[in-house]
Amino acid sequence: MDFKLPDIGEGIHEGEIVKWIVKQGEKVAADQPMVEVMTDKATVEIPSPIAGTIDTVFAKEGETIEVGKVLVVIREEGKAEAAPAPAQKTAPKAATPASREVTPIETAESKAIPFDVLATPATRKLARDLDVDISTVKGSGLHGRVTKEDVQMAASGQEAAAPRPSHTAVSSTSVVPHTFQTVPAPQRGALQTIPLRGVRKKIAEAMQHSKRTAAHFTYVEEVDMSAVVALRASVLEEAKRREVKLSYLPFIIKALIPCLQEFPYLNSSLDDEKEQIVLKGDYNIGIATDTPNGLIVPVIKNADQKNIWQLASEISVLAEKARTGKVALDDLKGGTFTITNAGSIGGVFATPVINHPEVAILGVNAIRKRPVVKGDQIAIADMMFLSLSVDHRVVDGADAARFMNRMVFFLSEPTRLVFA
Amino acid sequence: MKTFDAIVIGAGPGGYPCAIRLAQEGKKVAIIEKDKWGGVCLNVGCIPSKALIHASSQFNKLKHLDEMGIQTSAPKLDMEKMQAWKGGVVKQLTQGVSGLLKMNAVTAISGNAVFKDAHTLEITGASGKETITAKDIVIATGSRVVEIPILKFNGKNVLDSTQALDLKKLPKQFLVIGGGFIGLEIGMAYAKLGSKVTIVEALDQLLATVEKELVQVVEKKMRELGMTVLTSTKAVGLKEKDPAKESLLHLEVETKDGKKTLEADAILVSVGRKPNSDGLGLEKIGVKTDSRGNIPTDNQGKTNVPGVWAIGDVTGAPQLAHRATQDGLLVAANICGEKAFKDYKTVPWAVFVDPEIATAGLTEKEAKEKGIPYKVGKFPFGANGRALSTNEGHGFLKVLINEKNETVIGVHIVGPEASNLIAEATLAIEMGATAEDLVRTIHTHPTLPEAFPEAVELAFSKAIHVFKPKRG
Repeated sequence: MDFKLPDIGEGIHEGEIVKWIVKQGEKVAADQPMVEVMTDKATVEIPSPIAGTIDTVFAKEGETIEVGKVLVVIREEGKAEAAPAPAQKTAPKAATPASREVTPIETAESKAIPFDVLATPATRKLARDLDVDISTVKGSGLHGRVTKEDVQMAASGQEAAAPRPSHTAVSSTSVVPHTFQTVPAPQRGALQTIPLRGVRKKIAEAMQHSKRTAAHFTYVEEVDMSAVVALRASVLEEAKRREVKLSYLPFIIKALIPCLQEFPYLNSSLDDEKEQIVLKGDYNIGIATDTPNGLIVPVIKNADQKNIWQLASEISVLAEKARTGKVALDDLKGGTFTITNAGSIGGVFATPVINHPEVAILGVNAIRKRPVVKGDQIAIADMMFLSLSVDHRVVDGADAARFMNRMVFFLSEPTRLVFA
Repeated sequence: MKTFDAIVIGAGPGGYPCAIRLAQEGKKVAIIEKDKWGGVCLNVGCIPSKALIHASSQFNKLKHLDEMGIQTSAPKLDMEKMQAWKGGVVKQLTQGVSGLLKMNAVTAISGNAVFKDAHTLEITGASGKETITAKDIVIATGSRVVEIPILKFNGKNVLDSTQALDLKKLPKQFLVIGGGFIGLEIGMAYAKLGSKVTIVEALDQLLATVEKELVQVVEKKMRELGMTVLTSTKAVGLKEKDPAKESLLHLEVETKDGKKTLEADAILVSVGRKPNSDGLGLEKIGVKTDSRGNIPTDNQGKTNVPGVWAIGDVTGAPQLAHRATQDGLLVAANICGEKAFKDYKTVPWAVFVDPEIATAGLTEKEAKEKGIPYKVGKFPFGANGRALSTNEGHGFLKVLINEKNETVIGVHIVGPEASNLIAEATLAIEMGATAEDLVRTIHTHPTLPEAFPEAVELAFSKAIHVFKPKRG
């Protein structure tokens, strides 16, 4: 039988072959894992649906294969090889029309290269080789010209989407996260190579692209969070009653919105190709989230229209979805500004990398009790550093400073948000 | 029984490049040809017709040398010598094909091939039968002319294109049934040599798939050559019972204004070609053909039966040699384990009438159907220095620019050397070149290709050698 790459999750169109567990000619039992396939979120082991022998393996390790494409041909136990022998001794020829099963014919027309696609024949060939539908690739060149690099990026699985953990054909699938924590250190003197694939590769490319494109600088300011700490403490009972996990993030988003409204350039993106700054009327705040497979950024849509409780529960839901690999593609789209919270782990402050093509990212750091000078007294306060990385091509240092002053204005005295 | 890695059936412009490429990649290859090495194209199609067209144009040009101050006495035509020269050209090329196959260690077998099963062929040749087998078999059997019952070919005065290209005596009155490119090319060539030529076309336009404004330029030249064009006209039948015995034929036709009788001493019937998919035993191995007999393939050249591939004319339109060659190389790559697809935006083509017509990419009609907004720039060769200085300032080069991303999406040329000029246009379309790319590329002066960037500029109302007032 032809075994096709099954639907391994909502919105997943393709997977990369990480490793073949079985080899051509080997026998497999039903449900025996055959191959490790990596999607944007997770690596899944795909089991054989039947007992038989591996006849032909269609995708090499490292290759990206679309859902629905034939992955492997498994010869069922007890069945003879289907391929015709050139000279057969028995059986009269007349009544055997086709030598093998008839494969459907797709016309050349159906996959014809659209005239709108701006790419050279060589780039188009590369896309075919990498199984990338070039008409869906966003070109980085002038007028949207698709370059070889664009195709390679697309092939490495730029579009993130969610795997669904259990689903018919892959019911016995196990999630094998590739994380820094779960990989044991190599033995003394040994070198272990890990191919740059899947989510890791996507992160690598996105970060490099951002660093290469945006003119990064990071502005750091400290803010006395004592009032926010007190405010949060005063509503924790209420949070418990509502069964909402209330972190500091909703308060920071609440303070952020009026600042972004005041400084629209920070809620914008730079269209490099058209040389246009695009100011956004929506406030969709991405939350950089640490997951076993690497960093992903789910987005809280229309954050300006949500109250603290809505923000809090949405953050919890998205974070949980992200960690378990259930984020829908739609949850990852449409961000206008990003917040990254390194403070939950530690550190004084970080210099975040902008989530390109956005132009700014706010780093939220740990709230720590520190001695501060208040009036002429040394007092203890709940202090926090905010680090704002911006694209200097769009936002100048003075504007970043003014923006941060407003953040401090609201966070140091959150009641002011009533007037925002 | 001999075993090969791959077998190619048919040694035309699709088959022989396929076989050579397979051999270059280290495959053990056989190629089977039942008629002539090089196929229709080299023997009785593209090459001999171009030789005859060139010779007739040279003959015709002599009459106009007077304008340039060159006095000649009335030129005399030696038809047999012209045919001998044409035969020499063909021979040189076909021998070249045989030589190349030999040098690449391709086993060349003369004979007729029939499938025994999907991997086995029985070949009947002059020296008897043999059976050969291979994992992959490529069907490259091409096409042949369509015969109509009321005008059966007799090789004497009711002719197919092959016979019409081989006339040893110039017909006085030459009648062409079918106003497609083969009929027009041969008809015009004989008109230039001095025949009185009439073209009969059932549709309301000659060269039905070509944009009308291009055809009009050629029609003007046809009138100058004294040719008669009857469109929306159908051939009804010959008055003669046994035309081969007569020296003058009378063909009854049905025109818009009623019936008419046309006289001719030779009639060319060129109403199309059909695929050579019959007689191969395809039914036996389950290879599907469509209602017209074409073998459908996917965009890798595979038929519905694994291991059996098909390329060129036998797979249907466009029936063009260069398309077959491209198919052949693609299938060879796929047989060698590569993953190659038919991924071209356009198959360009040229009609060797006077002036030549050539086309690449979308016509205006096609662009509209696809919903692509476009600008048009049309540059007349009358404003091109080179065209004028060679006394060929007729026709124009028209370019279609996609308004969305300013790429070149179609180029249509009627004019001198259109068949050569279309190469740059095809490259531009495949590369996704933009209007700006074209005008920033320096074109040699004084040459015909200068018309290309000028046409692009005209699409933006800015050509140097044509004045176009700005709108609004």
